[in-house]
Amino acid sequence: MEPAVQHTVVIWPLILFLVAALGLVTVMLGLSYVLGGRHDNRLGNQPYESGIKPTGSARTKFSAKFYLVAIIFVLFDLEIVFIFSWAISARDLGWVGYEAFLTFLFDLTLGFAYAWKIGALDWSPRAPRQLRLDAIESNQQRNLPSEQTS
Amino acid sequence: MNDTWFQILGALPPLLVALSVIGLFVTLCIARHERLVYAMTVGGLNLALVATIALIPLGPVAVTPLYIVDFYTLFFWGVILVATLACAAFAMPYLSGFNDRREEFYILLATSALGAMSLVAARHFGSLFVGLEALSIPLYGMVAYTFRTRASLEAGFKYMILSGVASAFLLFGMALLYGATGSLAFTNLIPAGGYDADAGPWMLMGIGMMLVALTFKLSLVPFHVWTPDVYEGAPAPVATFLATVSKTAVFALLLRLFVSAPITDNAWLLTLVGVLALASMLIGNLLALRQDNLKRLLGYSSIAHLGYLLTTLVAGASLSIEAVAVYLATYVGTSLGAFGVVSLVSSPFAGKDAAHIDHFRGLYYKRPVLAVSMAIMMLSLAGIPLTMGFIGKFYILSVTMASGLWWLTGGVIVGSGIALFYYLRVMAILFMDRPAHAREPQLSGTGDNWAQTVVWLLAAATILMGIYPAPLIDLAAVAGITLGS
Repeated sequence: MEPAVQHTVVIWPLILFLVAALGLVTVMLGLSYVLGGRHDNRLGNQPYESGIKPTGSARTKFSAKFYLVAIIFVLFDLEIVFIFSWAISARDLGWVGYEAFLTFLFDLTLGFAYAWKIGALDWSPRAPRQLRLDAIESNQQRNLPSEQTS
Repeated sequence: MNDTWFQILGALPPLLVALSVIGLFVTLCIARHERLVYAMTVGGLNLALVATIALIPLGPVAVTPLYIVDFYTLFFWGVILVATLACAAFAMPYLSGFNDRREEFYILLATSALGAMSLVAARHFGSLFVGLEALSIPLYGMVAYTFRTRASLEAGFKYMILSGVASAFLLFGMALLYGATGSLAFTNLIPAGGYDADAGPWMLMGIGMMLVALTFKLSLVPFHVWTPDVYEGAPAPVATFLATVSKTAVFALLLRLFVSAPITDNAWLLTLVGVLALASMLIGNLLALRQDNLKRLLGYSSIAHLGYLLTTLVAGASLSIEAVAVYLATYVGTSLGAFGVVSLVSSPFAGKDAAHIDHFRGLYYKRPVLAVSMAIMMLSLAGIPLTMGFIGKFYILSVTMASGLWWLTGGVIVGSGIALFYYLRVMAILFMDRPAHAREPQLSGTGDNWAQTVVWLLAAATILMGIYPAPLIDLAAVAGITLGS
């Protein structure tokens, strides 16, 4: 059998699927666009929250800690990918591979210890007591008349 | 087993840097001590430099299929290590007023230098990519290191996002080349029809995409827009590192790729590179004319200098590699000096860097030696005789003329003519009357004397190499022979 024929045999259901999917979406959106009602008043554009009026802005502040923890999680989670790929071929790689892998694990653990040490894993940035003391100190600095400090 | 030890010996300099990085991590996990961290970084880099020099008689060592340690590699390892040491010396006084963690900077610096060393020795796409990322990723952190200054954070973001896009281009280009040739080693990238055949469209597209990524890192003209912004925002020692180590490593790699990969021997590709070179030197110099910020000015001037360098790739003359080695060494020495002065005047850290040209007005009357060093660096960047910049420019011109590329020769001459204006303007400003509102450059004590000594040494070397360049030329010639053969 010629390669070109093989290709058409493999590919036509995919094209049919693509056309069907696009057609379905077009029909659904198009019909509701043509047949659906319009209301452009102010209340009509509000999000429907089970009858309760939405309050406040959607842009609230999140703690940047989420981001940090997520990054650290991804970092150490991805390490498992490397462990698996090493484990499959561990016998073929032999002792050289084992040494290389131990080096990798050592460096990674070192990174973990470092992240722990600098407090990247603590949920609150500093001990609350220390934070209070700092606040008091900065208040004092702001309120003190300048002649006393100089 | 004997062969393994031989390979470890060949890779000793980067291994020493890697060990010092690991040592720094262990130290930081136990205790925070800035002096100790600094001493470990500088010690590790110095040991690596000694090892690099000691490896010279060893001859080419193939370290796994990924790396080759020949004299060309050793030459650029030396340049990278010296430049990194100078950056560390500038960073110490610069960071002395920075009220946050200061120690991590040296880890990032050493890791980035490690990536640069890997890049220079690479002869395989795997080591190329690992090296380029190990060079770039610590740099994102370094550019944004003084993140409380808005400009630094902004520069970090810009560099990170654009660099990521460039890496994507690089990977796509590698994938296309792998698809077309079935190999990742530079020397096996042969057109399908044999050595003398024309490269097919897939291969040209692949090498073109790789060229996009590498010219982005070298900030050549269509991809230069990030350079002035990042240089301006980055802390002065980091801008120094970007302008010297990063550029040297990527250019050394580009040259090795062009010399050893057969598919780069393509007339269309070489013309493209020539156009990039011409555009870089003209546009870089023209945009530098009206800059009032010294860091931006140096950024644009680095675009032009990389443009001059790129002409050697087009020429492909026997002298090309030697010319690149000489030009890069002189350019690195001069840039280190110029950025070092900016860094010293900016430190101790207080808000934005004092890079505006007004801060340098009349610097001569406050810090005479620093101002004279700066003046020497400007002369060298402009390529005035008796400085080492002249030797480099002489090489570039002789290479372009030897291969009959008269349009590029003309470009270099016109570019240098334009550049004279702004280099001499900076020089003149150093000796003008000092305005009342200029920020006082001051000695901050710790480490500042070291950084000053480095600047003085660089100024002295600029003059010495300009008068007696024979040792540098001999070293570069050997580097050229080992790569060319």
